[in-house]
Amino acid sequence: MANTEIVEEQKRQLHGLRIRDMLTTLTAATAAISATGFMFAVAPLNGALSFVLLSYVLFVAFYALITALDEDREGVKDRVASVIVRSAAVVIFSALVFIVVFTITRGFEALPYLNFFVEDMSLAGPLDPLTTGGIIHSIIGSLIQIAIALAITIPLGLITAVFLNEMPGKYSRFVRTMVEAMTALPSIVAGLFIYATAILILGVQKSGFAAALAISVMMLPIMIRASDVVLRIVPSTLKEASLGLGAGSWRTAWMVTLPTARSGLTTAIILATARGIGETSPVLLTSGFTASLNLDPTNGPMVSLPLAIFQFVKSPEPTMIARGFGTAAVLMLLVLILFILARVLGSDVKISKRLAGLLKFRRGDK
Amino acid sequence: MFRRRINQVVAYLSLSLVLLSFSSSQAQAADYVPVNGAGSSWSANAIDQWRRNVVQYGMRVNYASTGSSDGRNQFKSGTVDFASSEIPYGLKDGGVVDTLPSRAFAYLPLVAGGTALMYNLKIGGKRFTNLRLDGETLTKIFTGVITFWDDAAIAKANPGIALPKRKIVPVVRSDGSGSTAQFTSWMAEEYPKIWDEYCKAAGRSTPCGVTSNYPVIAGKGYVSQPNSQGVSGYVSQNANEGTITYVEYSYALKTGFPVVKLLNDAGYYVLPTASNVAVALLQAKIDTRPGNTYLTQILSGVYNSKDSRAYPLSSYSYLIVPTAVSGSFTQAKGATLGDFAYYYLCEGQQQAEVLGYSPLPINLVKAGLEQVKKIPGVNAKNKDVSKCNNPTFSPDGSNLLAKTAPMPPEQDREGYTGPITDPNPGDSGSGGTVDPGNNGIVDPGNSSNGGGFIDNGGVIDSNIVGPAYCDNDTGICQPVSAAAVTPPSGFGGLAGVVQTIALIILFFVLILIVPFLQLMQRKRR
Amino acid sequence: MANIIIGMRLGLSPRNSKQSSTSNESQSQALAISSDSPRLIKHVYDAQDQIFRTVMRAAGSSVLVIMAMVGIFLALRASEALGKVGLGFFTIQAWEPDSGNFGIAAVIAGTVIIAVIAVSIAVPFSLGTALYISEYAPRRIKKFLITLVDLMAAIPSVVFGLWGFFYLQNEITPVAKWISQNFGWIPFLSVQGSDPNDPLTSNTIFTSSSLIAGIVVALMITPIVTSVMREVFSQAPIGEREAALGLGSTHWGMVRNVVLTFGKGGIIGATMLGLGRALGETIAVYMIISPVFVIQPRILENGANSVSSLIALRYGEATQMGMSALMAAGLALFILTLIVNFVASSIVARSRSGASS
Repeated sequence: MANTEIVEEQKRQLHGLRIRDMLTTLTAATAAISATGFMFAVAPLNGALSFVLLSYVLFVAFYALITALDEDREGVKDRVASVIVRSAAVVIFSALVFIVVFTITRGFEALPYLNFFVEDMSLAGPLDPLTTGGIIHSIIGSLIQIAIALAITIPLGLITAVFLNEMPGKYSRFVRTMVEAMTALPSIVAGLFIYATAILILGVQKSGFAAALAISVMMLPIMIRASDVVLRIVPSTLKEASLGLGAGSWRTAWMVTLPTARSGLTTAIILATARGIGETSPVLLTSGFTASLNLDPTNGPMVSLPLAIFQFVKSPEPTMIARGFGTAAVLMLLVLILFILARVLGSDVKISKRLAGLLKFRRGDK
Repeated sequence: MFRRRINQVVAYLSLSLVLLSFSSSQAQAADYVPVNGAGSSWSANAIDQWRRNVVQYGMRVNYASTGSSDGRNQFKSGTVDFASSEIPYGLKDGGVVDTLPSRAFAYLPLVAGGTALMYNLKIGGKRFTNLRLDGETLTKIFTGVITFWDDAAIAKANPGIALPKRKIVPVVRSDGSGSTAQFTSWMAEEYPKIWDEYCKAAGRSTPCGVTSNYPVIAGKGYVSQPNSQGVSGYVSQNANEGTITYVEYSYALKTGFPVVKLLNDAGYYVLPTASNVAVALLQAKIDTRPGNTYLTQILSGVYNSKDSRAYPLSSYSYLIVPTAVSGSFTQAKGATLGDFAYYYLCEGQQQAEVLGYSPLPINLVKAGLEQVKKIPGVNAKNKDVSKCNNPTFSPDGSNLLAKTAPMPPEQDREGYTGPITDPNPGDSGSGGTVDPGNNGIVDPGNSSNGGGFIDNGGVIDSNIVGPAYCDNDTGICQPVSAAAVTPPSGFGGLAGVVQTIALIILFFVLILIVPFLQLMQRKRR
Repeated sequence: MANIIIGMRLGLSPRNSKQSSTSNESQSQALAISSDSPRLIKHVYDAQDQIFRTVMRAAGSSVLVIMAMVGIFLALRASEALGKVGLGFFTIQAWEPDSGNFGIAAVIAGTVIIAVIAVSIAVPFSLGTALYISEYAPRRIKKFLITLVDLMAAIPSVVFGLWGFFYLQNEITPVAKWISQNFGWIPFLSVQGSDPNDPLTSNTIFTSSSLIAGIVVALMITPIVTSVMREVFSQAPIGEREAALGLGSTHWGMVRNVVLTFGKGGIIGATMLGLGRALGETIAVYMIISPVFVIQPRILENGANSVSSLIALRYGEATQMGMSALMAAGLALFILTLIVNFVASSIVARSRSGASS
């Protein structure tokens, strides 16, 4: 009540830090930790985890108590909720960042050597030190396989997604149901399917191409579903306007629907790509394994990054395990680069325009 | 506009591809056609090293370690040029006969090794490293008959040791594996009754015989882990006391954990060292009777070798090669495969020990060389075994191993230290098993360097000749003197930390690029 | 174009297919009304459109064919095994395909247990994180966090597996022990074969459990669940948000009554999506669990199972019958995930934020 008088003339602050919040948090944290310490000294309690859990619970309680001094019930709820939401975010981000850092640290033994990025493993056996051999064969293998898979899934996936949206009817509803069902396909079964059909029945070699097919089977439903969702939120008024102006459905799709949804579609494609490039199980059965660089996807085995990791960490040699973690770091880096590429391509037009200008050394773009 | 951008991306991608491939292009001799193989993960470490070694001759051998059965199946369906396997075709695994492939084939001995039994046991807070077991007790441990470490049968083999009343936790392979096949084939051959009873309880049809998938009865405290890395990693975790697993000797050596000394028919407790395995395999017979088992190994002689050095749980894996041109297998591929086989049977065996295996003894090498001639397109050579430099036989082709392999010390004889048969505790030397207080118990920080090849109380360096570098944090030991191994140099200590941090920062800077660009964008607007 | 984007961001777009189809109808109605007398509306497609429509239909059909082939192939390969054990396939708790004694009961139960653990850990945290990003985070770091979450969703599963095997396994056993000692009276948190008073009890009983696999899978699915939830929350109509605040609601009150109410469907959809991924996760689970073939509801105790890790573990050494049995297991998992997906989509379709999840 006294509160309302104070805030009367002020702009209501929804975000940002207030000094009082910080003090409250600090006080509650100190109180909670000391109280927990006291309880640990008195009661038969032990363990780091129980300490953390108990002090967190106490912290929330104290925090609620302190805020209750000058806020009403709704205000306390508001504050407590914000604390809980924030701690959830902190836990998740720190856990995920930790996983990334852990992988890089473990792989670090292998990473400083330039040969790790430019050589293949054909001259490095289990007994060789980290100064020879690298993973270029699996980096290029991954890129080739994902490129083939994208060449299959982007046209097929996008056209199917457009089909689901532009030609509504019983048939497309059925296709949509099937696609949704297929997102449930365990990725190892996708590999098994290509192995049993393309390799055993059609006689395709175990090769980069076969692996790309398996990745495509896995990626296709993901991509269709994601692009379908994106296309659905394209305002129908726009499409109607286009149709109303006399454009055919082809022109509408090509000039209106797809450009409008471009950012979302890029995200859809990149998410599917990230899954496709990071999955071990579909390539396990289809790509074969080699230690040397193979640029020909139709002939001979071609190894990709996840498969290389999987094989490296099975070895008894510590150098091989270090290589496995190093490869994992490289795989994450590759995904990251793909991401940046997609964001640049898919995000605001101006950035890409400027980038294009930069790349072409065009003048006049300021 | 959109199209142009795509074009640019494509151009950049292809440019970077070209650059990358330039930097790694290597001259490849045109003489050899690459061959592809798949199969045993048990033999993978050796094949991986050999295929690296033959690159210098211009050979390219691709090998996928997907599992023995997968290798056999793929060879059967013609998707690979060769396979490696611990189990031959035509055996019953889990009650189903594996049919022979329709293409003509032959078995070659590939690489030999002993199945080591790695364990994690502490007595009085110190790691116990001198555990001795006889075959029957071992079988009973892995079939759930013996469930505590202080069981009378174990105590009998380890007189004077105050074994703890701790539960035995057998760790087995959760995936199908060659190690399981080798271990179970030994149990099925030597102790069929105990093994069949267990199998039956696990819901399998009997006689159980050899299997690649270890049957597990739920609730008996078994732990299953995938891969050799999985089982050895599990046992070597400090907290996992009381665990025992079967694994390739190399994994036990690398993790620095002890392995069981197993009683042989001559009455000695022996370790699965390279020479002990090779001595045992001198008794391996190759079945020459025509039929399903043609050219497969008969190991009963190995399991029951009367040599006091022989490690009973020894066996070798096969390389399965085609003996006729069919499908994608051509004469040219035969030439590559033949030369590869010649290489590994001869020179390649030198490295077997460093890789954690045992070199093939002379009888198997000779048998293998005979088989190579059957590969179509092979450059048949009368390979001179004397030039092989195989550590198990001398340059004149005689069986060096049988003469020179060190004998086990007298204290490892069965009953030698038994309180009744020989109550004389003073004689047995430092590594002995008599002193009940601390014998065989090695403080992890001060592991014994007894020096000998075999007669070492602990197990840690018995196969690593010369000094070994052991990391205390990871427990990983590396032989420093082994010729091919040089520990990675540089970037230790502070520099390493700085580089790690730099790398992590770089990683996050990369993440930040996009939001930053967008921020700039907004400012301009 | 910028206007369109702004329009989308303001939430002016229709939010599910039902709405958009109704608007299509209204469009044709409008056409009909605009003419003087009712007439038959006939679509006339020019050549370009004809080709386009044919291509679209062909693409849709080829996708359908591919998908159908996978399904048929699975069913065909599985039929051998299913024929051998019949209905026992769903009740037998064992996996010995070669002696004809195998069933999915324990494996499916294990899969569900791991997935449920993963989801029940992942969803509260994802909800918090998504709310933080969309409602609490300062504008400056918001974009960064969104990118970070999207990026995390792309961390390959094998990396999570490596982390789980080489790090988490070691660290979590004391925690599991602590939980079982303090909360062992809850049936599913109890551990059989462990006596806390016996100093010689090994920690092995607490390793390779459903809980550890569940935690790893939880971390794996958190980014994707967070990402979907955040997307939905960000679409909560601005008008309603402002109305709530204008009526004197606190920030949390607004979040609860506008954002969460609006995003209910999206939360369920995201949860189901996470559940679907958790059910199918292979490599991370493969590296951690110690497979058992009985239904093992004690989540802290050693022993767990999952269908996809079973396939990865066993395909290498599988005989023909074994392979067929694995296919049947894959089919069962597939059907289970299918049911989850359909339940999810039927819930989501009825909600306001449905279409975007």
